[in-house]
Amino acid sequence: MPPASRPGIATRLKRLRQRETRRMIAVIVGGKMIGVASILGAMRVVTLFVDMPASAQTVSHRAADLISPVNTIWTLVTAFLVFFMQAGFMALEAGFARSRETVNVLIECVIDTCLCGLLFWAFGFAFMFGEGNGLIGHQYFLLHGAPATYGSTGVAFLAFFLFQFAFADTCSTITSGAMVGRTGFRGDLLYSIGVSGFLYPIFGHWVWGPGGWLGNMSPNLLNSFTHGAVFRDFAGSTVVHTVGGFIALAGAIVLGPRLGRKFKRDGGGPLPPHDLTIAAIGGVILWFGWYGFNPGSTLSAMDFEGIGRVAANTTLAACAGGLVAMFWVYPRSKKWDLGMAVNGFLGGLVAITCPCYWVSPAGAVLIGGIAGVVVPLGVDLIEWFRVDDPVGAVTVHGIAGIWGTLSLGLFATGQFGIPTPDGVDTSTTVTGLLYGGGIDQLKAQLVGSLTCVVVISAAAFGLMHAVKLTRTLRVSRDGELEGLDLHEHGTPPYHVEFGQGMTYSTPAGLPSPRVREPVDVHETSEDVPV
Amino acid sequence: MPYMVTAVIKPFKLEEVKVALRGVGVLGLTVSEVQGYGRQGGKSETFRGAEYTIEFVPKVRIDVLVQSGDVDKVIDVIASAARTGKIGDGKVWAFDLDRVMRIRTGEHGDDAV
Repeated sequence: MPPASRPGIATRLKRLRQRETRRMIAVIVGGKMIGVASILGAMRVVTLFVDMPASAQTVSHRAADLISPVNTIWTLVTAFLVFFMQAGFMALEAGFARSRETVNVLIECVIDTCLCGLLFWAFGFAFMFGEGNGLIGHQYFLLHGAPATYGSTGVAFLAFFLFQFAFADTCSTITSGAMVGRTGFRGDLLYSIGVSGFLYPIFGHWVWGPGGWLGNMSPNLLNSFTHGAVFRDFAGSTVVHTVGGFIALAGAIVLGPRLGRKFKRDGGGPLPPHDLTIAAIGGVILWFGWYGFNPGSTLSAMDFEGIGRVAANTTLAACAGGLVAMFWVYPRSKKWDLGMAVNGFLGGLVAITCPCYWVSPAGAVLIGGIAGVVVPLGVDLIEWFRVDDPVGAVTVHGIAGIWGTLSLGLFATGQFGIPTPDGVDTSTTVTGLLYGGGIDQLKAQLVGSLTCVVVISAAAFGLMHAVKLTRTLRVSRDGELEGLDLHEHGTPPYHVEFGQGMTYSTPAGLPSPRVREPVDVHETSEDVPV
Repeated sequence: MPYMVTAVIKPFKLEEVKVALRGVGVLGLTVSEVQGYGRQGGKSETFRGAEYTIEFVPKVRIDVLVQSGDVDKVIDVIASAARTGKIGDGKVWAFDLDRVMRIRTGEHGDDAV
């Protein structure tokens, strides 16, 4: 006789007919199926993730060949410099902001960088530099199927990716500068996804991507309009700066001004910056980073004359821009204005970014000097339109970017072609109006810049309004008055040294801290061996 | 006899209070950034995910010298400009002063205000 605890077959069959039993069996079997499926799925996803770029081993065959390694080192070093511009942006924007929104500015730049890196890896790079059509690329999603080197550059693919990520990051950070002080952090995350994931890479593809329609002037109508001259943007006056600047403009307009901001027309003026020391240092860090931005855009150290020329032109334009901007605003107040000097040299840097490779040092001085006039005029214009741009991002990046792009059509000397992995290709040179090249290059530049302003403004207005619909774009009135730091991030940037107790409470779920009873030294001292 | 009116208010209300005081003819005031707490007893915030209390909340202190006849008016003006109706609006008080002198001219009392 079986023990009473073990049910017979009849009982088991009977149980099978009960609903609970069948449900439990279904749960167990179903659960196992889900488990198996998720493991198989995870294995598939993991292989997708850990998949290395194809033909990574072919690089070792090139040990004797110095060109690719040297160019890759050059690209990486300049990528690191461009990345360091983030520090410059953080300092510049935080310095020009009020102290109550400093933490917000800093975390915005930090998280923007992290977000941009992942988005650029997942699909931004694919949109921008993958093969596709004239409008968008669709290759290298998640960096899949990447060759050892990118295109005809001879630069390691992932070094090229890193360099371009640093550029994308710059563009998305420019945007935040005009939106300081009133943007909710959730709204900030949403529009940043739009900027780094879609707007920048897709427009970038048009100019720099393989087969991009602006970079090739591919519609026949356009090509005959410019007589074969193509839109050229060496390091991104348009692709990075005008794009960033005009997204910033759309953001600032959709947001509206900060509470309490009165404009010059209404008897007011800009709200004062809280730390000019850090703002000026940030500006100079950006200048330093520009030595990666412009010279690195050759992607080739073999073109050694080119990188020397670009670096020198970059410097001269910045010097001229800073000086001219300072002298331009001096008659108004009879004061030497630091903020305008910083924005002036930044404007000069933005302007020289497009033509830096194709102009002479004298041309660079003129381009930077004119940018030094464009910047204060642009600041006045933005102020007149009652747009609150706390750091001047719209003017310095957007408007100076337009000037820089057009200046190539005027100042290109006609001596220089395009950099190649092993030197320079002078079979096609770029000549501007002032050097007897006619107006074709100027027309091409005009087409590119105008397209950027129109398309990017329209897309950015759409994006910002979409974010506004989710009610996350702007913080509440109370939050803005209290300051974004306390309202959004829970901490002021600067704690006072004395008397500011930070009394931490115990986090939920943890036992309360044990307080040690103070030991009376005199009572126990006899027991302690000496 | 001149009076000193002192108010401790929310920092972002300073601009409104300044404009309101100018509107009733107060020509000068002294402002300082101060910290303190009242019945509210500080303010809860978080840093690196841990909750803490700011025991001393940042405030702005305004000191205004007024002639004796203007004290009530100035107190009312400051209070109505600084009021949000929420906790932490601050306080305003006044006290009379024995001696006030304008340093440049040597004027005394109400003339020095």
